[in-house]
Amino acid sequence: MVTLKVNGKEISVADGTLILDAAKEAGFVIPTFCYQAELSSLGSCRMCIIEIGGQKKLQPACITPVLQDMEISTETEQVEDARASMLEFLLSNHALDCPVCDKAGECELQDMVHKHGPRKGRFAEMRETFHVKDYPLSPVIVKNSNRCVQCMRCVRVCKEVVGRGVLGTIGRGAHQEETSFLKGELDCDHCGMCIEVCPVGCFMRRPYRYKSRPWDLNSTKTVCQYCATGCITKIEERDGEVIRSIASKDTEGFNGRMLCSRGRFGHDFLNNEERLTTPLLRVNGTLEPVSWDKALDVIKDKLKKSQPDRVGAVASARLTNEELYMLQKVMREGVGSSNVDASSRWSAGDSEAFIAATAIDGAGLSIDNCMEADTIFVVGSHISDENPVTDYMVRYLSASRRKTVMVASVRPMKLDRSAQITARHMPGRLGAFLAGVTLKLYEENKTKLSGVKGVKSLDGLSIDKLSKASGVAPGDIEAIAKKLSSSQSVSIMAGTDMIRLGDGTGGLCLLSDILKTLDKRVFVLPLLDRSNQRGAWDMGAHPNFGPGYSELKGDTGLDCGAMLEKASKGEMDLLYVIGDDILAMYPDRAFAEGAIEKVGFLVVQDIFLSDTGKVADLVLPGASFVEKTGTVTNQEGRVQPIKPLRKPLGKAREDLNIIADIGSMISKNGSFTGDITAETVMEDIKKDVPMYGDVECDEQGCRGFLIGGVARRSLKCISVGEEDTTELKENKKYPYYLVTGNHLFGSGTLTGSSSMLRKLIKEPTIEMCIEEAKSSGLTDGDMVTVESDGGNGKYRLQTRKKSSSKVVFIAENFNEGSVNRLYKIGERVPRVSVNKGA
Amino acid sequence: MVDIIKTVITRVLFLDFIKGLLVTLKYTLSRSITLKYPDHETWIPYERFRGEHKLHRNEDGRELCVACELCVAACPTDCITVVPMEDETGRRGINDRVAKVWEVNLVRCLYCGYCEDACPTTAVRLSRGFELACTDLDGTIREREALLTESPIPEHYEGGVVVKAKYIRKLIQIKPELWKQKDWWPAKPGRSKKR
Ligand code: SF4
Ligand code: SF4
Ligand code: SF4
Ligand code: SF4
Ligand code: SF4
Ligand code: FES
Repeated sequence: MVTLKVNGKEISVADGTLILDAAKEAGFVIPTFCYQAELSSLGSCRMCIIEIGGQKKLQPACITPVLQDMEISTETEQVEDARASMLEFLLSNHALDCPVCDKAGECELQDMVHKHGPRKGRFAEMRETFHVKDYPLSPVIVKNSNRCVQCMRCVRVCKEVVGRGVLGTIGRGAHQEETSFLKGELDCDHCGMCIEVCPVGCFMRRPYRYKSRPWDLNSTKTVCQYCATGCITKIEERDGEVIRSIASKDTEGFNGRMLCSRGRFGHDFLNNEERLTTPLLRVNGTLEPVSWDKALDVIKDKLKKSQPDRVGAVASARLTNEELYMLQKVMREGVGSSNVDASSRWSAGDSEAFIAATAIDGAGLSIDNCMEADTIFVVGSHISDENPVTDYMVRYLSASRRKTVMVASVRPMKLDRSAQITARHMPGRLGAFLAGVTLKLYEENKTKLSGVKGVKSLDGLSIDKLSKASGVAPGDIEAIAKKLSSSQSVSIMAGTDMIRLGDGTGGLCLLSDILKTLDKRVFVLPLLDRSNQRGAWDMGAHPNFGPGYSELKGDTGLDCGAMLEKASKGEMDLLYVIGDDILAMYPDRAFAEGAIEKVGFLVVQDIFLSDTGKVADLVLPGASFVEKTGTVTNQEGRVQPIKPLRKPLGKAREDLNIIADIGSMISKNGSFTGDITAETVMEDIKKDVPMYGDVECDEQGCRGFLIGGVARRSLKCISVGEEDTTELKENKKYPYYLVTGNHLFGSGTLTGSSSMLRKLIKEPTIEMCIEEAKSSGLTDGDMVTVESDGGNGKYRLQTRKKSSSKVVFIAENFNEGSVNRLYKIGERVPRVSVNKGA
Repeated sequence: MVDIIKTVITRVLFLDFIKGLLVTLKYTLSRSITLKYPDHETWIPYERFRGEHKLHRNEDGRELCVACELCVAACPTDCITVVPMEDETGRRGINDRVAKVWEVNLVRCLYCGYCEDACPTTAVRLSRGFELACTDLDGTIREREALLTESPIPEHYEGGVVVKAKYIRKLIQIKPELWKQKDWWPAKPGRSKKR
């Protein structure tokens, strides 16, 4: 610890603390431009200069660490003078076109000049004019360099946090311009981080361009819905039109100023004109508007006539905890059936294995804690696309804390560049690869590890065999095992590919057990792709367990796949689908179509008329996340509030009320009547789900971190022996393995309805290795036909460097050309052929 | 004694009465104070008068307003609404920011002129128009198109005079271009008088 005085106030801070932070702790704010907490220090703007006792020259507070007995003055006349002259210099070359500048009103330069600035400028020289008209850098970014203060935040954030490094500088000194290569269009993440960090109006959002002033906006602080990173964002509207979402200094989320392109630009779907505003009932084959009373009457009538085990519910894992809790309660207590699932994409068994492997039924674990470990091992996730902000955090935290990052994935990704070791395994062979790593560790520490449960299943396997099965070179497997065994603590981040492909959970369980036995601290963090996937499981929206992973009183229910199977036999009387688009998501479209058709009565509740909605018998208009109250739980186990910005559109209603209404119609003991609001349901949740015991509610909503629950012992890891370790076979007709997942610019129907994101990704694309494409006579931008046993589709080809030659990728969530048409039940990694021509 | 004689003479000759009649006669012959407003005459206020808003254009006919919303921020009664947009027609140069909506509620306005002061481009100026009577509340909202029409009273004209109403009305309706010819409006029309 170091003791020093700031403006006469004595404080003690840790060694190496920056003067800036020390002063902040003492309660003195030092103005800054180029300083940004997440980024490397630059110390170029000299806005933060302060006086140090005994030193003649002023020093920059943002790069100078404290020393024992320093005496720092931040508010003397000399300091104020220096600040004013710094600002005078900046203004001497500044465009000062505030009236037409989108930043005006929230501009750091404006604020600073108001507070510290000179009241007069003395420079009469001509200003540097870089260009006369603002120029676009991407479909979402507009640039005006005349307003630049050369703080380099944009360049640094792009390189250090986003990991793209597509911004740089042209020229030097006052002639320096921060821009893209040759000022051309950017091919980047389009995350808008450069816009967010730019203190002035150089980088501007295209969709917000000339739309408003910050003081006109009506806003709500809520949680982004596009993945389970759960970034806090402020959604802002003007006159009923959602116009931007930002993460600024004052939104106070764990994500700081970070949002990805989906979170920053994807929320214009809320303005989409095709939103549902009234219940629709199928009368003589067409959907016609009806009143709520009529709609609910119909459901009541149908429910009365159905047997409980012939009723099912499939909800989206984007609903709030309260809604999902209510839904499973209505199903289990009202209807008397456990047929409730929160995903149409994967089976109940696979998700259970994943929950067990990643200890989701235990306490939460924050990314920040995760990044304390020496080694971060990312498996089963294309994290750079699926959870972009988690990727950003891993990148800049691992760099600033000097951590080792290792990546094992099917496809190459941006995080590879921050990783010391990368392993590219074949799709569906993560299990084999992890078995290889565990085997290596086991071989080295046989005596110590022989007692570990499940380690016997490694017998009979060899590194060679596993290397062949997984497609990872033995050297890489060994290097990873070596790094793991030399680390004191390890964080494993495990992604949804493990559930999607039902692969790797056994290896993960054994690996974490082995590492624990070797006296290492092991953190396992799930990386999920739906905003409330973890919450959905906590709430018991799963056929095999109840709220808090409790044992079910009655029989287990059916998952979505089993319900469809039953429906295809004509044995489903009623299916209630909330926010999920089964036809677009269930991995076998042809089968899903056939099954859905045979459902006795299909009720779809959504905010858009999805493919499934189009064939429904009754469509109920629900509310989007800016029209309701509730909480969602992110992948770390962080419970965060969702707060409404406005009322549901038209006759639409909050989903919680609709579900409760259905419950009250059928319940015999009246348990769903009375005052049901998000708050009262949260009270019930806290009683029923012990992990939510720490959640606190106030007017700002409920928040908290999950605490260790009573883990349900029957959630078992599968054994490594069950993983697929057979050798891969060639297939002449269909040479490629198809993998799917979320796209950086799309993760479902909602992103598909966002006109901004549709500019970033215009049509369904297929990604393929560049060399492989060349050798099959294909070039980037070609239209290709993709064919599999299940079906075929047309996609635009995008070539990628460093991909495995036999793996192609199609994102799972294009509205048109949905990838599930290429899937067949039971086939987790379809084999496909790719041919030129449409 | 002299006083008595004076009184007698005054009374016999009705001198007071005649004095009074002379005043009456004078006013009968002079210009009447009552304006025949609005049918025949109207009063042009002084230059500093603050009446209805007008939005102005530059010499090339381009709107001066850049939709910065500063007038909105300055307005104490919150009666202006400005919604900006990007002018993609290429009509403007660097400043392609223009108003999509520019509206003022004239009955909430207190004619303080703060908007005028706040405007960085002198686009909004309070004109001398004061004829704001209307039969329903919709008429109290002035929109961009109406605000962009030229005021019948030229800005540089010093005002403070009464003129024939038909000049103003005619000019608004029939020949706005005539207003540019200064002679059309004699500086001190014969029958009018400064007040
Ligand atoms: S960057 Fe700030 S100071 Fe510069 S023109 Fe824009 S609002 Fe004004
Ligand atoms: S563009 Fe913005 S962030 Fe980049 S150097 Fe200039 S002022 Fe800083
Ligand atoms: S990382 Fe996920 S939660 Fe965060 S902004 Fe992106 S999509 Fe939204
Ligand atoms: S004159 Fe005053 S009250 Fe009227 S619009 Fe302007 S600022 Fe507002
Ligand atoms: S009238 Fe002037 S102050 Fe008002 S928005 Fe237009 S330019 Fe800005
Ligand atoms: S903030 Fe310290 S030099 Fe820029």
